[in-house]
Amino acid sequence: MREFTVLVVDDEQEFREITVKRLEKRGLKAKGAESGEKALEVLEHGHIDVVLLDVKMPGIDGIETLRRIRGLKPLVEVVLLTGHASVDSGIEGMKLGAFDYLMKPIELDPLMEKLADAYEKKRLHQEKIEQAQLKRHMAMPG
Amino acid sequence: MEMNHYKRIWLRMTGAFCLLITVPVAVLVLVTSSSLKDAAIDKLQVSLGRLIEHKKDVVALFLKEKEDLLTMLVGMYPIDFLGRQANLDRLFIAVNKAGSIVDLHVIDSSGKQLAYVGPYAQSITGKNYYDSQWFQDVMIKGSHVSDVFLGFRNVPHFVVAVADPLKTYVLRATINSEQFNKLLLSSQIGWNGESFIVNREGTLQTPSRGGLTELDAEDKALLEYHEGTAMVRREETIVATRWVKDSQWCLFVKAETEESLGPFYKVRNDIILVIVSTSIVFFGFAVLFANYLLRRLESEDRKRAELGHQMVQMEKMATVGRLAAGIAHEINNPLQMITSQAGWISELLPDEDPALVKNIDEYKKAIEQIRHHVRRAGAITHRLLGFSRKISAEKQNVQINDLLEETISFVEKEAGYNNVSIVRKYAEDLPVTMTDGPQLQQVFLNLINNAIDEIGQGGVVDITTTREDNNKLVVEFADNGHGIKPENLKRIFDPFFTTKEPGKGTGLGLYISYDIIKKLGGTIAVANRKSGGAVFTIVLPVINLGASR
Repeated sequence: MREFTVLVVDDEQEFREITVKRLEKRGLKAKGAESGEKALEVLEHGHIDVVLLDVKMPGIDGIETLRRIRGLKPLVEVVLLTGHASVDSGIEGMKLGAFDYLMKPIELDPLMEKLADAYEKKRLHQEKIEQAQLKRHMAMPG
Repeated sequence: MEMNHYKRIWLRMTGAFCLLITVPVAVLVLVTSSSLKDAAIDKLQVSLGRLIEHKKDVVALFLKEKEDLLTMLVGMYPIDFLGRQANLDRLFIAVNKAGSIVDLHVIDSSGKQLAYVGPYAQSITGKNYYDSQWFQDVMIKGSHVSDVFLGFRNVPHFVVAVADPLKTYVLRATINSEQFNKLLLSSQIGWNGESFIVNREGTLQTPSRGGLTELDAEDKALLEYHEGTAMVRREETIVATRWVKDSQWCLFVKAETEESLGPFYKVRNDIILVIVSTSIVFFGFAVLFANYLLRRLESEDRKRAELGHQMVQMEKMATVGRLAAGIAHEINNPLQMITSQAGWISELLPDEDPALVKNIDEYKKAIEQIRHHVRRAGAITHRLLGFSRKISAEKQNVQINDLLEETISFVEKEAGYNNVSIVRKYAEDLPVTMTDGPQLQQVFLNLINNAIDEIGQGGVVDITTTREDNNKLVVEFADNGHGIKPENLKRIFDPFFTTKEPGKGTGLGLYISYDIIKKLGGTIAVANRKSGGAVFTIVLPVINLGASR
């Protein structure tokens, strides 16, 4: 599996920590952020491939954070994860371009799978863009 | 309690209607009857007045006729002529053709009888009348009419006496009362009416039909002198009195009101009959009307109670739903931590030296158990939160009959094993509706499965679709099982409520069905059939967006 970077955004510290630990043990790079604001900050300054985003958080919630991530880093894929019943917010999230909507409790294997899929999508996307840029580059007379 | 309540209302309504009818009718009867009676009595009094006036004239005329006759005779013949017996005899025969004069006396001014013709010659001849009251009367006033008396002959008669203008003699005639009486008897009113004459002392001058010989105290009280006709109304009679013959005699005419009011009573009875019969008819209408109103009231009350019950149920379900969602959410986070931590252990375990960790297999097993039970709990919370349902935001036109048919095809085999038959009663003109087919199918599947589980061997499930009010679809799932206990009817849609054996059902099927139908804008209700078994009724709106089909 390719190595990629995951940002875990959740206001619950224990969850953040264990998820980061386990992802790292599986060979990924992982960071934690306790709020939407913090996540945006991390995204701006560091390299992040996939965001695992809790929907219900104090401060700006998951949906709003998602919207801002879209504006800030359109290529970053976002997987929503919640313990909540809000089917509506799930639909809302999908409309805003989230990669998927997951429900707690979830085990690590399916979570990893989703994250990997999300990364794969991001990678393909990025590749396409790079190729397009390359083509344009090559087409330009030296 | 309920029955009593309605019975009371019914009684009050009928009572009020009856009062409304009977009171005016009774008043009408009383007023009409009394005014009719008054009118009848007035009429009676008028005719009584006319009669007595007429009789007065007849009596006066009769007396005057006699008096005039005598006056004429004394004017025509001097005392010398009439004083002779032979002349008087001839005169008597001449004037007494009618036979009303019994005898004639000729008396000179000294009271000595000069001549007499009549049946009592022996006993009267030679009598001197000078001291008699009537003789004095005649000598002063010129004429006299006596009261009736029996006289020597024990026959009622009265006397008319007239003096000649020079008062040299008196001619006196005894008049047979019989003729006089006849005049009065013919003037009676009714079978028990009376008509007679009394003198000032109240002695009867003519016989009464009722056999009266003397006036009673009540009638005597009427013997006050009065001008014209006096009318006294008593309880049962009306008495008219009139003074005649220079106020010496009083003419009495009595009529019994009851008897005379015969025609009035007949009219009154007719009126009462008509009124009573119309009252009875009205009463019948009142009862029918009250019944009708009561039926309306009862059905309105029932509808309102049903509606209230539905509202309560909906509110309860909303509260319960929120509660369940909240709890599920609160449980999901700890579940996540449990599974994460357990997963973490399982990931770290392989790093340990198996020689140092004696029970490594037990740990692995325990971790697997923990994860299994978290999955189990998670499955429940996910179902409860509706998250495991497919999110299909897209609604499409669904033909409910087709959807039912498809659903039945899933369960028909199982139904066959259980020897349960499914009877379809589809409305052919069922319109399509915009709805979420897969979710609706889940509800149908739930209900049919429940029914099959409930009835067991040999049961029948009736599935009926109907169209209601043009914009509603009704789907009914009826089984012929044992039905639902009344105390469970209210809780049957509650989450985690189940009557199945522990472990056989989560108690979420009907809750989820309820939730789905509610989200689709419909209602679901349950009731027991009268014939046994339960019936679930789903009502869905017909939603028709632009181009249907």
